[in-house]
Amino acid sequence: MAEKPFTLAVPDADLEFLHKKLEFTRLPDELDDAKWDYGVPLDDINRLVAKWKDGFDWRASEAAINVIPQFTRDIEVDGHGTLNIHYVHQKSKLENAIPLLFVHGWPGHFMEVAKLLPLLTVVAPDQPSFHVVALSFPGFGFSEAPKKKGFAMTQYAEVGHKLMLALGYKEYVTQGGDWGHVVTKTIVQTYGGKHAKAWHSNCVNNTGPPSLKSTPWLYLKYLVTPFSEDDRKGFERSAWFQMKGTGYFQEQSTYPQTLGYSLADSPVGLLAWIYEKLVTWTDNYPWTDDEVLTWISLYWFSRPGPAASVRIYYEVVAASDFTRPQWISVPIGFSYFPKELMIAPKLWGRALGNVVFESDHKSGGHFAAHEKPRELAKDLRKMFGIGGPAFGVVSGKSGYTVA
Amino acid sequence: MAEIPFTLSVPDTELELLRTKLELTQLPDELEDAKWDYGVPLGDTRRLLARWKDGFDWRAAEAKINAIPQFTRDIEVDGFGTLNIHYIHQKSQVKNAIPLFFSHGWPGHFMEVSKLLPLLTAESADHPSFHVVAFSLPGYGFSEAPKKRGFGLRQYAEVGHKLMVALGYDEYIAQGGDWGFGIVRTMASLYGERHVKAWHTNFPFMYKPSLSAHPLIWLRDLVTPYTAEERQHSERAAWFVKKSYGYWAEHATMPQTVGYSLADSPVGLLAWIYEKLVIWSDDYPWTDDEVLTWISIYWFSRAGPAASLRIYYEFGTEEGQADWAKLKSPTIPFGLSYFAKELPFVRLFWTRVLGNLVFQSTHDSGGHFVAHEKPELLVGDIRKMFGSGGPAFGVIPGRDGYAGK
Repeated sequence: MAEKPFTLAVPDADLEFLHKKLEFTRLPDELDDAKWDYGVPLDDINRLVAKWKDGFDWRASEAAINVIPQFTRDIEVDGHGTLNIHYVHQKSKLENAIPLLFVHGWPGHFMEVAKLLPLLTVVAPDQPSFHVVALSFPGFGFSEAPKKKGFAMTQYAEVGHKLMLALGYKEYVTQGGDWGHVVTKTIVQTYGGKHAKAWHSNCVNNTGPPSLKSTPWLYLKYLVTPFSEDDRKGFERSAWFQMKGTGYFQEQSTYPQTLGYSLADSPVGLLAWIYEKLVTWTDNYPWTDDEVLTWISLYWFSRPGPAASVRIYYEVVAASDFTRPQWISVPIGFSYFPKELMIAPKLWGRALGNVVFESDHKSGGHFAAHEKPRELAKDLRKMFGIGGPAFGVVSGKSGYTVA
Repeated sequence: MAEIPFTLSVPDTELELLRTKLELTQLPDELEDAKWDYGVPLGDTRRLLARWKDGFDWRAAEAKINAIPQFTRDIEVDGFGTLNIHYIHQKSQVKNAIPLFFSHGWPGHFMEVSKLLPLLTAESADHPSFHVVAFSLPGYGFSEAPKKRGFGLRQYAEVGHKLMVALGYDEYIAQGGDWGFGIVRTMASLYGERHVKAWHTNFPFMYKPSLSAHPLIWLRDLVTPYTAEERQHSERAAWFVKKSYGYWAEHATMPQTVGYSLADSPVGLLAWIYEKLVIWSDDYPWTDDEVLTWISIYWFSRAGPAASLRIYYEFGTEEGQADWAKLKSPTIPFGLSYFAKELPFVRLFWTRVLGNLVFQSTHDSGGHFVAHEKPELLVGDIRKMFGSGGPAFGVIPGRDGYAGK
C-alpha cells in the first residue's frame, strides 16, 4: 500500500504513434454557416489539429504537470480487488491545515485542481490553509481502471475515502463538481459525521424541487416562493442543456464501448468530443490552443485509455445511483455559477441537507476550479475560515496557526 | 439533365489511406464479461478489423455492386441548388411494370434494395412486376450532400419525386423504411394523387393516437387488452427508447462533433454502424464480408459518413418538427408490413392514422433491415398489395405490372 512518487513520462513511442495518426487524419466537410449549432466548427478543429501536429510541445506540458506533487498507491476496493490510484497531494506548510479531497468529473481530470493548489495551501493569518488531495478517478488520468462490471458510486466513494485514510487524514472535507459532485455527496452520505466532515460543491444537480415527503417545510416554502430573474435564467440554461446538450450522456450511459472505439482510435474524434464541452460548458473561458491540447492529451495518454472514462455513465445510471435521497447532516456549501449546466433555485439545493453556505457568482461555468479558481478558493475560505459556518469541522485542524 | 451511367471505382489512394489507418488502429480494453451490454464486444471488433486489414476484398465487393445498374443525374432542389444524385434503376422486362421508388434510411444505403431487385422485376403471370428506382439519399452513398442548413424531409422528398419524373415515371408508387418512411410519406402527402399513386412501409413510426385527435381509436386502445405479441413488441420499443437512443440524441444535437470520429476512424465507424446491424436486425446471420462491405460504403461515400447524420438534426429542429406534424395525411392507398423485430411499436388498429390504409400484414420474424433480411417476405406483401385482386391493383392506369394480354 506504499505511496510512490509519480512522474508523468509518456514514452517516445506513444508520442510518435500519436503524430503518425494525426498525419493521416481525415476530416469531414461542414455545412455553410453551421457555426456551433451542429457541433464543433471545422475551423476550430483545423486549427487545433494543425497545432497538435506541429507547434504543440507535449514535453513542456508534461514538465508543467510534473511540478505538481503526484503519487500512486494501491487501494483495495470491495469486490473489485486492488486498484492502483494516481493522485495529487499538496500539503500546506501548516501542520494543522484542513485536509480537503477534490474530486473531478468528466471530461475533467486531476489537473483541474492545479490553479486552486497555491490558493488553498498558502498560509496566511486571515484565511484557513488546506492540505489538498486530488485523485484521478479509477479509469481516468493515471489511475488503473476497474476490470469488472458494476463499479458505481459506492466504489468511487470508497476509493476517495480510503485514499484519505491511507494518507493519514481520518477526518477531511470534500469538494467536487460534475461526477465529483455525486462522488463527494456519496462520500458524505456514507462516511459523513465520522470521517467526511463537510461538503462543498460548485455543481448542484438536484433531482428536482423539494418534496412534501422528504422536506415538508421546504416544500411549503417552494410552493409560495416565486422564481427570481436568476432562477428563470437558470431554468433557461438547464432547458438548453436538456434539449441540446445531453447527446453524449445518452450514448455514454447506454453504449460506452461502441463510442469508446472512436475515442480510443481517433485523436481528432476525441478532441472534438471533449473540446465541445470545454467550450459550451464554460462561460466564455479564453482557452488557448495549448491549454486545450494539453487537456485532450491527458485523455489520449491516460493509463487506461479514453474509452474507460465514459463507463462511469453506464454504471451509475444502471445502478440508479445518481441520487440517494438521504438527508446530509454535515455542513454543506454550494457555489452557484451562472453557466453551470443544470441550475436550480437555491431552495431546491437546500433540500439535500444542512446547507450552511451559499454563494452567487456573476460569471463562471461548469469547470469552476479551472475558470474561476480565485472565486472558488474565496468561497472555501469563507465557508471554512474563522467565523465561517464550517469553521473547525475537522478536529484539531482549523487551518490556522495555533496561537 | 442527362442520365449518366455510374460505375463505383474507389481510387487506389483511398484504399491505401484506409489500409494505413487500419494498420494504425488503437483499440480500447473491455470490461470482463461485458458481452453486448456496453456496446459492440471487443472480440467482434478485433475479428472484423483483422478481416478488414487482410482478407476482405473491396474490389470484389465493388464488382458485385457494379453488377447492378446505377446512374447519376443532377436534380434541382428549391433553395439548395443542384445536387448530383446517385441511384439504381433496374427496369423490368414487362413494359407496363409498376414504377416503384425505394428509399433507404440510416445506417442503410442504396444496396439495401439489391436482394429485392430480382424479385420485384421478375415477370410472371402470378404476380405484378416493377421497375425499381432506389436513390442514395443526398449525403449518402454516391449522391452529393446538401451544402446549406435546413435540408429536411421535404427536400429529400422533392429529390425523390423529381428523380422519378425525370426518369419518365410521372406516376409511381413509393416504398421505404427508417428515414425512407418519412421520405415516402412526405412524397405521398405532397405529390400524392397526381404523381404518387400508392405508398408502402415496413417502418410505422407514430405515436399512440391522442384522445383529441383520434378519440375512437384512443378509446379502443384503452379498452382492448394487449396480446402477447403486442406486449413483446411494446417492450422492444421501450428498450429502444431507453437503451438504443444514444446515437439519435447525438445525431440530432451535435452531428458534426460525432462526425469527426466517424470520418477519421474506420474502427469507430465500424462499431457505430455494426452495433445497429446486429441489435436492430432479427438475428440476421451477418457474414464479416457483408458487414465490411456495408461499412465500406459509408467509409468511401462521396460526402463522407458525417454528412449522413445531419438528417437527424434537421428533423429535430422546430421547423423540421412542425413540418412533420402539419404534413397532411396522404389520401392515396397505403400499405404496411409489420415485422416482429422492427423498432417502432404500433397496434394494428392505430395505423390508419398514418394514411389511407388498404393493406396490412404482420410477420413473426424480420427486423429493421427487412429488405436485406427478409426480401421474399417484403416482396410477397408488395405483390399482394399491388397484384391482381389486391387492394392497390391498377393504381397506375396502364401500368398494372402484368405483361399485356
